[in-house]
Amino acid sequence: MNELNQLTVSCGQTLQKVFVLGPDKKAAGQIPSSITLERDSRLDVVLVILPGAECDIPLSVRLAGEGCEANVSGLYVCDSSQKVKIAVDMFHVVPHCNSRQLFKGMAAGNSRVDFYGKIVVAKDAQKTEAYQENHNLLLSDFAKVDTKPQLEIYADDVKCSHGATVGRLNEEEQFYMRSRGISLEDAKVLQMISFVSPVLEHVHDVELREKIASEVEDSLRTLAV
Amino acid sequence: MANDILLEIRGLHACVEDKEILKGVDLTIRKGEIHAVMGPNGAGKSTLSAVLAGKPQFTVTSGSITFMGQDLLAMSPEQRAWAGIFLSFQYPVEIPGVTITNFMKTAVNAHRQGKGLEPLKAGDFLKLMREKMAFVQMKPEFAKREVNVGFSGGEKKRNEIFQMAMLDPTLAILDETDSGLDVDALRIVANGVNALHTPEKSAIVITHYQRLLDYIVPDVVHVLKDGKIVKTAGRELVADIEEKGYDIY
Repeated sequence: MNELNQLTVSCGQTLQKVFVLGPDKKAAGQIPSSITLERDSRLDVVLVILPGAECDIPLSVRLAGEGCEANVSGLYVCDSSQKVKIAVDMFHVVPHCNSRQLFKGMAAGNSRVDFYGKIVVAKDAQKTEAYQENHNLLLSDFAKVDTKPQLEIYADDVKCSHGATVGRLNEEEQFYMRSRGISLEDAKVLQMISFVSPVLEHVHDVELREKIASEVEDSLRTLAV
Repeated sequence: MANDILLEIRGLHACVEDKEILKGVDLTIRKGEIHAVMGPNGAGKSTLSAVLAGKPQFTVTSGSITFMGQDLLAMSPEQRAWAGIFLSFQYPVEIPGVTITNFMKTAVNAHRQGKGLEPLKAGDFLKLMREKMAFVQMKPEFAKREVNVGFSGGEKKRNEIFQMAMLDPTLAILDETDSGLDVDALRIVANGVNALHTPEKSAIVITHYQRLLDYIVPDVVHVLKDGKIVKTAGRELVADIEEKGYDIY
């Protein structure tokens, strides 16, 4: 676990990595803890954390060459006493780079989610665009979500934002769907799927995306009962 | 004849957050009848429709509702929909991330499952959807739009009638379907409702104004005021109300 797993995306290259974490934990060890992007490279990382996957994921991304773009997104479906911890550090050290972080998920049972996301824009990293979002649904009174978005900006010509929310499933939507004959369980699944689908959009391979979407839907169905 | 009765409401009392809104409503609707429920703001019109559809925030404290011989109050909102009740919402709800196609496919197949039928084949479903969208003059591209998100008032109401056409209910409840509609949209919506009407089906048209009732002509008109039906008469009552207002009741 402490083994430093480093990765570099070379000049002009594109790297997409999708990690699906189930209860078997095998994939967790493959997630790099540190990724460096060289000039004009592009990174897409998608994390999918399913029920039963205990994990503590620190990920540090360094946009080290001009003109690079990093997208780091993730979704989590947490249940029972599961603990999920995600910490992303996004370092902009040179000008003209973009980064986006989108993390969405839900906490049911007694589960606990800790999200920590930081954007650092160094003094020389002008014309940076960096965005971070973390949105959560609490599905039980005993689940807990702790989200800590952080911005550290030392440059003055940048576009940066962050947003974090913790909410519950909307009951007006549920009644509307039920009044059309959709069962409460199916209504919740539809709500949850639509909540996390913007994350799944980041999986470019359509076949893989559909496979993951159906795994996610199966896991959401167990939460909706 | 008793078996003509579709819906029977007896002594219905209902409250929301401890505030009593319905204070003893009696209403009988026979097959094929269109009933208008009119009344001033705050009379309990929308509460009546919400209670009929089974909205969880409303509590029925006493009384009964029988729909086609079944105890409606014992049924969940989805069971009521399967049994043939449809509520057209005064304020249709936006469901971000869920497309109309996905929403209606789930709804139609849930109804079919309720009747012990197989899900519709994808091709048949899309054909049905295209047909019903054309029926309420909804553009085909709406199929891919998220439910009610960014819709104008008229588009939302047309979407309600489209859903009604898809689900083909036995009892349609139109809650202030005329609010926020211009004349053209009102006509499209009313034509839709009229075209879906058969001698086996009934409708409750809830409205504040006469306007919609010029297009959907009721058999029976009720005035609901302060949680009670204070007057019931034929369609001539509509003109009377328009002239004299609700104060005389």
